Amino acid sequence: MEITLFQGLMLTVVGFICGLDQCWEAFFWFRPMVVSFLAGIVLGDVQLGVACGAVAELSYLGLLSVGGTVPPDPLMAGMMTVVIAYTTGQSAETAIGLSLPFALLAQWMGIFFNTVYVGIAHRCDKLAAEGDANGFKRIVYAGILIKTSAIALLVFLCTYALQAPIQSFVNTFPEELIHGFEIAGGLLPAIGLGLLLMVTLKKENAPYLFLGFIMATFLVMPNVMPIAIVGVCLAFINYMYEKKIDNASATVTVNDIGGEENGI
Amino acid sequence: MASSQKRGKLTKKDITRMGLYSIIEQSAFSFERMQAPGFTLSMLPAFKKIYGDSKEDLAEFMTYNMEFMNTEPHMATFLMGLILSMEENGEDRKLIEGIRNGLFGPFAGLGDAIFWFTLLPISAAICCSLAQDGSVLGPILYIVIWFIAAISRVFFARFGYNLGVKAVSRISESTKYLTKAAGILGVMVVGGLIPSYINVAFSENLKFGLGEGTTVQSVFDNILPNILPLAFVFLIYWLFKKKNGNVLIIILGIIAFSIAMSFLGWM
Repeated sequence: MEITLFQGLMLTVVGFICGLDQCWEAFFWFRPMVVSFLAGIVLGDVQLGVACGAVAELSYLGLLSVGGTVPPDPLMAGMMTVVIAYTTGQSAETAIGLSLPFALLAQWMGIFFNTVYVGIAHRCDKLAAEGDANGFKRIVYAGILIKTSAIALLVFLCTYALQAPIQSFVNTFPEELIHGFEIAGGLLPAIGLGLLLMVTLKKENAPYLFLGFIMATFLVMPNVMPIAIVGVCLAFINYMYEKKIDNASATVTVNDIGGEENGI
Repeated sequence: MASSQKRGKLTKKDITRMGLYSIIEQSAFSFERMQAPGFTLSMLPAFKKIYGDSKEDLAEFMTYNMEFMNTEPHMATFLMGLILSMEENGEDRKLIEGIRNGLFGPFAGLGDAIFWFTLLPISAAICCSLAQDGSVLGPILYIVIWFIAAISRVFFARFGYNLGVKAVSRISESTKYLTKAAGILGVMVVGGLIPSYINVAFSENLKFGLGEGTTVQSVFDNILPNILPLAFVFLIYWLFKKKNGNVLIIILGIIAFSIAMSFLGWM
């Protein structure tokens, strides 16, 4: 079935709302389960939306946005699975496969924004140094508004205006380029960690970095929590030790002074 | 530091408001600072209540909070509550900064474990089984579950703030040691994050005639698994520290390098 202009615009509104939530990860409306449901309502086929949402949600369950990496976009996957199933009459299982180029495109847009917004962070630094809270607020809000509008625009183009051209456009991309972005996705978080180390790493605590690294490499752990607990233990040991040494040397100094006085 | 001046007191309502406002915590996310702008902005209304319009305090507060921040958005409010309780008490900002940088990693781990690895699979499994029969109950239940999860940030905010208020007098006695201890914890967690945050490996097909069953990657793995991610983080660290590298250029360099590696078939 054809998508009307009105439906296309309504899907754009859904894209805007869910896109905002995707940036924030606040109410999880960016997950395929909700996106497909809302898209189904817009298209007048709630049953289809719910069914597509279930299929897409399960498919994307393994792809979690954890640790700063960007997965193929769950929002666009949920949206396009419904739209493709609606327009072509294919099953939800086939439609999710066809939605992949759009999810990839949305993922690249995410990487683009995460890169360009380094500029916003630098602007924020300047406003922070000036103590300009209102300017700071304005630029952060501008950032979220622009990114969300871009997501909504992409939804409009994918669902209504340029569905077929976009699909063939992404499909002409060489496999190597797509894989190249995958590699970049695995490397880019090093920027954040490198900058964090600029602030925290000192000669005296460098050994602990390697301790944490070796634990994470050789132990099977569900998350970083065990390392954090060991870190707290070591920090506490160090805390007591240093305090004791300082107290001891303080006592020695007092005794020395006392001794000299007695001598005189 | 201008902490000698009169400071305002936060009420429970202020903390609740901050918890709700923190929904914007991931605004203006970037690879360089990640959540720092949103994290800072979330605390500004409450901070202003403590220090009024003192530009000097505001500038100091915003500057140290604009350092790198990446934690689990729901539990970020715990950290915010803790920071504000210490600001309210006029603690040394170096100490607050140390605690901030030491704790967000552990909270990211804890929050991911609760929300992404436990609540998400369970809620998705239940709601999908409902939705597969075409029942509207599936998505609606999903929305309700995650609405409650989103509101939980208010409780994390209160928890962090109350804990800070109670512990603050003890904290200030041993500022010097605690700053060091927080540094140890922070650095150790960063070390632990390297293998899971950064994924880099040479292709299984890259052999360079090293002999039967030996690949370039296996040579590295035999030295130390994850040595490439570790080396890469230090490369970036070195570029920033010694070469004053430009973030944007480094990001573009990484993307160009990745695409080149992909076309060469090395990775």
